[in-house]
Amino acid sequence: MQADDDIPEAVAVPPRRARFSPIWIVPILAIVVAIGIAWDRLASEGPTITIIFKSADGIEAGKTFVKYKEVNIGQVTAVRLTDDTQNVEVTARIAKSASALMVEDAHFWVVRPRISLSGISGLSTLISGNYIGFEAGTSAKKGRQYVGLEVPPIVTGNTPGRQFVLQSKDLGSLGIGSPLYYRRLPVGQVVAYDLAPDGSSVQIRVFVSAPYDKYVVRDTRFYNASGVDVSLTANGLDVRTQSLVALLEGGIAFETPLGYASSSQASSETVFPLFHDRVTAMKVDESIATRYVLYFQESVRGLSTGAPVNFYGVAVGEVTDVGLFFDPKTLNVKPRVEVVLYPERVVAQLPTGQGVRLQAMVEQQVTRRDFMQKLVEQRGLRAQLATGSLLTGQRFVSLAYFPKASRTRLDWTQAPAELPTTISTLPEIEEKLGRIIDKLEKVPLDGIADDLRKALASLDETLREARSTIQRFDTDVTPSLKSALDEARGALGAAEKVLTSTETNLVGPGAPAQADLRNAMQELGRAARSLRVLADYLERHPEAIIRGKTAEPMPK
Amino acid sequence: MTSAAARGLVSCSECALVSRPAAANAPGYCPRCGQKLEFRRENAIERTWALLVAATVLYVPANLLPVLATTTVVSSADDTIMSGVIYLFASGSWPLGLIVFIASIVIPIGKIVALGYVLITVQRNAQANDRQRTRLYRIVEFIGRWSMLDVFVDTYIVALVQLSPLMSVEPGPGVPYFMAVVVLTMFAAMSFDSRLIWDRSTHAG
Repeated sequence: MQADDDIPEAVAVPPRRARFSPIWIVPILAIVVAIGIAWDRLASEGPTITIIFKSADGIEAGKTFVKYKEVNIGQVTAVRLTDDTQNVEVTARIAKSASALMVEDAHFWVVRPRISLSGISGLSTLISGNYIGFEAGTSAKKGRQYVGLEVPPIVTGNTPGRQFVLQSKDLGSLGIGSPLYYRRLPVGQVVAYDLAPDGSSVQIRVFVSAPYDKYVVRDTRFYNASGVDVSLTANGLDVRTQSLVALLEGGIAFETPLGYASSSQASSETVFPLFHDRVTAMKVDESIATRYVLYFQESVRGLSTGAPVNFYGVAVGEVTDVGLFFDPKTLNVKPRVEVVLYPERVVAQLPTGQGVRLQAMVEQQVTRRDFMQKLVEQRGLRAQLATGSLLTGQRFVSLAYFPKASRTRLDWTQAPAELPTTISTLPEIEEKLGRIIDKLEKVPLDGIADDLRKALASLDETLREARSTIQRFDTDVTPSLKSALDEARGALGAAEKVLTSTETNLVGPGAPAQADLRNAMQELGRAARSLRVLADYLERHPEAIIRGKTAEPMPK
Repeated sequence: MTSAAARGLVSCSECALVSRPAAANAPGYCPRCGQKLEFRRENAIERTWALLVAATVLYVPANLLPVLATTTVVSSADDTIMSGVIYLFASGSWPLGLIVFIASIVIPIGKIVALGYVLITVQRNAQANDRQRTRLYRIVEFIGRWSMLDVFVDTYIVALVQLSPLMSVEPGPGVPYFMAVVVLTMFAAMSFDSRLIWDRSTHAG
């Protein structure tokens, strides 16, 4: 056992100060702040996306931004060639705030300055450098790999409005960005075009921005408003233009025919035909159309496809084909004109009450045919060619009643049925004129001219003879005439003398011989007048001396 | 050679008058200048450590966050301290780059390391290199304010380059952290009591 002294003394440890110095708040605060920053950084770290471009023109890592609505949403972090070295792969870090926008069908494109007739865009990139434009998609799926667009989309996805598809035979002068007009107001643009999958037509995608998209209804017609449209029709010369921009780079206009404006709005992506011009587009779409064929016995020159078919001046149809017809039985080739008639156009021209009745009648094929048959067989409805404009020679088909026309039957078994024709009025006039000309031709103008020449020659001879006669008359007759006249004058002088001598006894007042003398004097005056007339006549018609006075009237 | 504290005396931190303390626990106030007397600064080591840790922590965001956001019409760039230094070196103005590098990177790190070294040696009762450690501390204290150079450069540039819309410079989010680092290291240096270096010294000066 050990002595008590060996018991060691307990170690007295002074109580450790566990006091918490307030100074430690400073580093704790610093740590909190640092963690906060780190957290913030990590949280704001958006997704990294890659975009494939054909060329990295103007794209620089660390300098090129991705902008959405002109707001930076990301920055290009790397630019490198793709593995096949054909394209450029651009890696961009997108801000956390925009990460929700990075969906599958989002689009990227490089914004460069672009100058076109319809405007200048991206001008700011001239000094700020190119940037990558972005358009959000509608998909819900996230996307990280994108293929960049070469051409920026014209209309960004969230611009209110609707897209429609137009089908056309060809593109014409349209292009992306070509304006779309409604009442000459630019309301949209062509956003894309492509060949139809079978290559038979062109599909043009147009965007109509709100609120104008509500004017696109199911019966709206789209037509080409490109450039100047000059058409020469039976109606005359027609010139139409849209705005100057449309004139220069083409455009599309749309319009709804009267009476259809209240039809329901067209849904997005509706396919419309693109008409070549406004006239074609605005023709009311007739659901009832009856086709007829016309065989003419005269020239159909000046009649073209699309020419109107008028019923007493009211358009009721149009010419669909102009050609020839060969009848193998008679070995006859004659002009053939196919027309289509729209009975509803007739209905549209009627007063309201009557229109309903006729509409009901034309809607049924049986009643419609019956009606037409009555018109043709009983009233004598005939088709004839008419001239729309004498200047241009454009012709149209005119329908009119010819009650005197020979009876004919409307044969519905043929398709299309033949509508009887009658010779046009203009050829009738032509025929009459022709007949007159024919008669004129029969006149022996050559013989007449020959005779006339002969007559003139003989007249010439006669005149020559007359001249010689007059000369003879001058030498032979005139002197004797002169002496005769002298004698007459002498006789007159003597008579005067006698008169003066007898005045006192004979002519004086109350003289008995005065009356006799006056009578004699009057007789003498008459004789002198006759002589003067004779002299005059002889002077003008010397031949009268030989031939005597002819019966023909004196020339005036 | 012993210190004043070892002899039960206390020196005033303000006017350096050595006086007898009023009591061992509470030395009282300086009879000459009225400063509160302390044998050694209260919790000097702990306080210095705390500030030093805070400075070290904040040094990370100060260097990772950009301190200068330059926006020109052609580009916009955010520069951290290090990227600025690299840019200066790369663009050929290496003397300027060297100054910024020393002022903004070497000095703050040097201060933290130096203070940490001094603190550790004091806590470990190291008895060697007393003079060198004191000199180190003196240098740290003196040089502290100069590491604000970067902040000064920033403020000058931001104030001078306002050619909006052609070019504009904005201070980045790293600036406050960098300032905090500088201020905290200065406080850390101040809160340390250099007499502690000598308390366990056997140095016969």
